[in-house]
Amino acid sequence: MDYAVTPTKFDISALVEDLKPVRQLNPSRGLILPVIMTGVATLLIGTNMGWRSDLISGQPSEMFLLRAGTLALLGGASAHAVAAMASPSVGKNSDRWQMALAAAALFPLCAMIAMLSGNFGSALDKMQYGAECLRMSVMGGIGVAVPMVLWLRKGAPTSPERAGWSTGVASGGLGAFAYNFHCPFSDLAYTGLWYTLAVGFCAVAGRLLVPRLIRW
Amino acid sequence: MKSNDESLRRLMIRAQRGDKQAYHVLLEQTGRWLARFFSHKIAADAVDDLVQDTLLSVHRKLSSYDPSRPFLPWLAAIARYRWVDRLRQTYKHEAKELDFDIALEGHEDVVGAKISIERLLNQLPASQAAVIQYVKIEGHSISEASRKTGQAESLVKVNIHRGLKKLSALIESE
Repeated sequence: MDYAVTPTKFDISALVEDLKPVRQLNPSRGLILPVIMTGVATLLIGTNMGWRSDLISGQPSEMFLLRAGTLALLGGASAHAVAAMASPSVGKNSDRWQMALAAAALFPLCAMIAMLSGNFGSALDKMQYGAECLRMSVMGGIGVAVPMVLWLRKGAPTSPERAGWSTGVASGGLGAFAYNFHCPFSDLAYTGLWYTLAVGFCAVAGRLLVPRLIRW
Repeated sequence: MKSNDESLRRLMIRAQRGDKQAYHVLLEQTGRWLARFFSHKIAADAVDDLVQDTLLSVHRKLSSYDPSRPFLPWLAAIARYRWVDRLRQTYKHEAKELDFDIALEGHEDVVGAKISIERLLNQLPASQAAVIQYVKIEGHSISEASRKTGQAESLVKVNIHRGLKKLSALIESE
């Protein structure tokens, strides 16, 4: 069905005069700075706080590898989603970061099972270290979040709330990834509790703070 | 003549390179497309303002278009963002003034949309979709919407607020 519509009365000549060549936003370019910042955070934490002993000995533990892989996947997929959100389109929806989040949810799930079997006390006993894990992961996450927010501000994110969640999950995942290179603990309960708290805190902070910064 | 996506896409690529002539044609055709798009979604006397806002957004966000993808879905995403933003602004403005009884005049009771705004509304609970349709799209007052739906006026306001929040969240998931 067609409708007869009066053409808009808006004078477009000022916009035409103002036109300058633009560089297209390529999502891959939006990933460069967050990746660099993750590397910088890893180096800063490792050199200032020390590297894990199993890394120094060249025999990384299975938990370290599993945790690093999961966090890199979660952070990377979410950061990619953030980079893509700068270029809007109806019908385009990437749910890879949600799949990575589902995979990462195995850690808290296993921790809960450990708790039910009475194995959770060890994680709470390490509260002091856990708080440090939380603090350093969040600090690393902030460093990673800044370029993502700047990227979103350049683009046209049409779902600020979703962009906020994704930015939070990405920065939390990559911040925790950086801290993982120092973290001396390898038990499941500790990982399930403190790493989940770090990613969850960043996700909520992202949802609350980022939308205000990227509205256009 | 209706613009087709491929010709608009080519014009946009040239505009991104700084071709003013192509940009002029693109904005003209885009303006017409937007006027048609919005004429089904907002009171008729607000269409021009919304087209203008959206063209300004297109101008500011030119770099966010990916030339490897179709043009109209990009434009529609920006148009819907501006549309929901306008609905929210109007709602906030009205809520501040506590003046819900002023109905917009000159609205058209038109059905049918090109990029399925109705499908978005269908994803909301019926109580929220109905009051958004009555108040925000058809321009009825809160009390009229209350009479038509049987919802208390306070509930109509709450449902508009919640519905608009959900709408903006749904925009990119389509």
